[in-house]
Amino acid sequence: MDFTLILQNLGLGFSTALSLVNLAYCFLGVLVGTLIGVLPGIGPVAAVAMLLPLTFNLDPVGAIIMLSGIYYGTQYGGSTTAILVNLPGESSSVITCIDGYAMARAGRAGPALAIAAIGSFFAGTVGTILVALLGPPLAEIALKFGAPEYFSLMVMALIAASVLSSGSMMKTICMIVLGLLVGIVGTDVNSGMSRFTFGMSGLADGIHFAVIAMGLFGFAEIASNLSDKADTAERTVLNQKITGLMPTYEDMKAASGAIFRGTAIGAFFGTLPGGGPTISAFSAYALEKKLAKDPSRFGKGAIEGVAAPESANNAAVQCAFITTLTLGIPHGATMALILGALTIQGIAPGPQVMTQRPDLFWGLIASMWIGNAMLVVLNLPLVGLWVKLLKVPYRFMFPSIMVFMAIGVYSVNNLDLDVYFTILFGVLGYLFLKLNCQPAPLILAFVLGPLMEENLRRALLISRGDPTVFFTRPISAGFLIAAILLLIIMIIPSFKKKREEAVASSEVL
Amino acid sequence: MFMKMRMLVLGLCVGCSSLWAAGVSYPNKPIRLIVAFPPGGSTDIIARLVAQRLGEQLGQQVIVDNRGGAGGTLGTEIAARAAPDGHTLTMGTTSTHVIAPAAYTTVKYDPLKDFEPITLVASTPYLLVVHPGVKASSVKEFVAVAKSQPGKLNYASAGTGSTTHLAMEMLNAAAGMNVVHVPYGGNGPAGTAVLGGQVQALFGSMPAVLPHAQAARVRPLAVGTDKRSPALPNVPTVAESGYPGFEVSLWLGFFAPKGTAKPILARLEKELTAIANSPEMGALFEKNGASPLTTTPNELTQLMGRELQKYGKVIKAAGIQLK
Repeated sequence: MDFTLILQNLGLGFSTALSLVNLAYCFLGVLVGTLIGVLPGIGPVAAVAMLLPLTFNLDPVGAIIMLSGIYYGTQYGGSTTAILVNLPGESSSVITCIDGYAMARAGRAGPALAIAAIGSFFAGTVGTILVALLGPPLAEIALKFGAPEYFSLMVMALIAASVLSSGSMMKTICMIVLGLLVGIVGTDVNSGMSRFTFGMSGLADGIHFAVIAMGLFGFAEIASNLSDKADTAERTVLNQKITGLMPTYEDMKAASGAIFRGTAIGAFFGTLPGGGPTISAFSAYALEKKLAKDPSRFGKGAIEGVAAPESANNAAVQCAFITTLTLGIPHGATMALILGALTIQGIAPGPQVMTQRPDLFWGLIASMWIGNAMLVVLNLPLVGLWVKLLKVPYRFMFPSIMVFMAIGVYSVNNLDLDVYFTILFGVLGYLFLKLNCQPAPLILAFVLGPLMEENLRRALLISRGDPTVFFTRPISAGFLIAAILLLIIMIIPSFKKKREEAVASSEVL
Repeated sequence: MFMKMRMLVLGLCVGCSSLWAAGVSYPNKPIRLIVAFPPGGSTDIIARLVAQRLGEQLGQQVIVDNRGGAGGTLGTEIAARAAPDGHTLTMGTTSTHVIAPAAYTTVKYDPLKDFEPITLVASTPYLLVVHPGVKASSVKEFVAVAKSQPGKLNYASAGTGSTTHLAMEMLNAAAGMNVVHVPYGGNGPAGTAVLGGQVQALFGSMPAVLPHAQAARVRPLAVGTDKRSPALPNVPTVAESGYPGFEVSLWLGFFAPKGTAKPILARLEKELTAIANSPEMGALFEKNGASPLTTTPNELTQLMGRELQKYGKVIKAAGIQLK
């Protein structure tokens, strides 16, 4: 690799991105993104779609810099609501809710928000460097991922997910199965047949993630807050005094390892088309919990439980640009929209962008890093403001959250059916809370299940029904071996515990 | 009760059209253009380009309302049920107005009876590409490869019952070969699968596969249209490659709900035809892999009738049945 060439390219990139106009677009993008991301339910897709027409008259470089800013801005804003009010703005911030919200309730919203910002910035920086140095070769590796590889990867991720829950193993498995079933709703990609739609055309494309997340997390949380016996007039989200806005030295020490590991996981999954921020965040959290000396802290406000998934999803978001830019393969709905914006500008996305429009390619890469820096500068001072928001009496807070959730859910498909389903899932979520069943494994299974099925059937279709394909392809075999190891690691301690219990009870006898 | 309501509605409608006759200007409020696909896709992009110009011409904003879902049938159904006052229009395509009604048993609208066709604005070709590992540089060689190893080759599609699926099934039938269908969830993933060599061929939509063909990541064999594409002048059509009469393209046009007043339709036809045929719009279309194509309402109705028959046959022959 020619290092001087990369430096030269980065020089071009920074000179493009640092022009006053482009800096302004970048700032506007991350600002608008953060603000929209903070609104529950309105994710990057809706934000980019709404602001797309604004970019028609901009020059292409400014347009894509602004849209990308909106993209990582919303991702960031989504984490803010996850921490403050237990509302994941994006599927990738579901996991942040667990320990982030626990920290907020314990009066440590400030450190949680700050560590999310710091972790995201670190991950963003690493992601940007990766895109610049290794973009094209990484994209080639990503193309090696076919249906068998994706299937085995999902199997591994789903098994890892069962460590997510701090409750009983049985309940976790039930939630995973329920998530898989809900994920099946909609049109089957392989046969084109509708499943579990009961003739409702609004269900033809399945239930949207936002519907489930807003229902199970948002509405359920509000219901359970209101059912607490505390004085309704003066209720706030907090049940303890706010202690400090910034992380302490101990916090930083505890979080730094998690940030490194989260970044590595995010960079890996982010590069795969179809991998993405959600799997990264879940996997990073699962890994931290496995590595922790005292896993029981997780779910009760462990700072690693915020640092790891936040770093992971941000690294993944940055690395998602690798396949989008070098191959012209959109990474998901938001990336497809950003590519669409380029097409409207008359630039055909694809590998030739790098050579034909180096200013655009390298300018965007440089602006990614600048955008991430801006997010930190923008958000660290805002931490104080967000935390103050928690002191707003709950009787004002919950109606506004509910209104924004309803708007957000509606805005995804402009479908009123989605709002009713959100309420339905809200009721379910309240039941789950009362039954001590955790919604996170359900959501992961809901996201991964349909992909897993699709890739399993596709792999078998291509191999003409031969199941050995999962073991004969090396990458796929690797994932399956890792999955088996994970399973063994998980089963051994519970065996040990059972034996200890048996020994203990025999001693009593 | 219902009778009374109906009378009332009818009365209101009559009232509206007499107001129209009395010279109330159209449009008197922003126009909603329903696009039955999510934002960012090729249908959405063409719709947005035209919507902006149409708004300028009519002096009222034309707002694109994305109602994606169920292969475009969800939004099209909403358009079919909208008030026929010219303030709700939809961008209909081969998918929404021919293939979906022919393939899905559950579609709740009739493409011919529930809409007033206005005009087409553009069409995009389909391009047959193969992974560079396939030893074929023409349709003829590809067919030979497929026949020499029956049941070995696979092709990707943007989904079961999509145009990319039907196009390849038509070629399968015409050539008497058996390349196996592997459906993906959209043009993007299908393109990725061919790029990575997971499957060998794709009859993909031009905007989605052209960049990869230009970068020599996939090898273009033929276009599905009756004429060669200006974007790839050296690539022959399927028809001239030995399958005369073969034609698959995606057309995009404007439709209004049935019962929209004639003067409104005539005004829209005039404006849209002028917009689609303007050189600036032509250049923008071309950048998006499309070319301008306009019709009279009559021609559009006939085209739909012909294509409903043509694709109906393919769907039946390939045993595609969707619910």
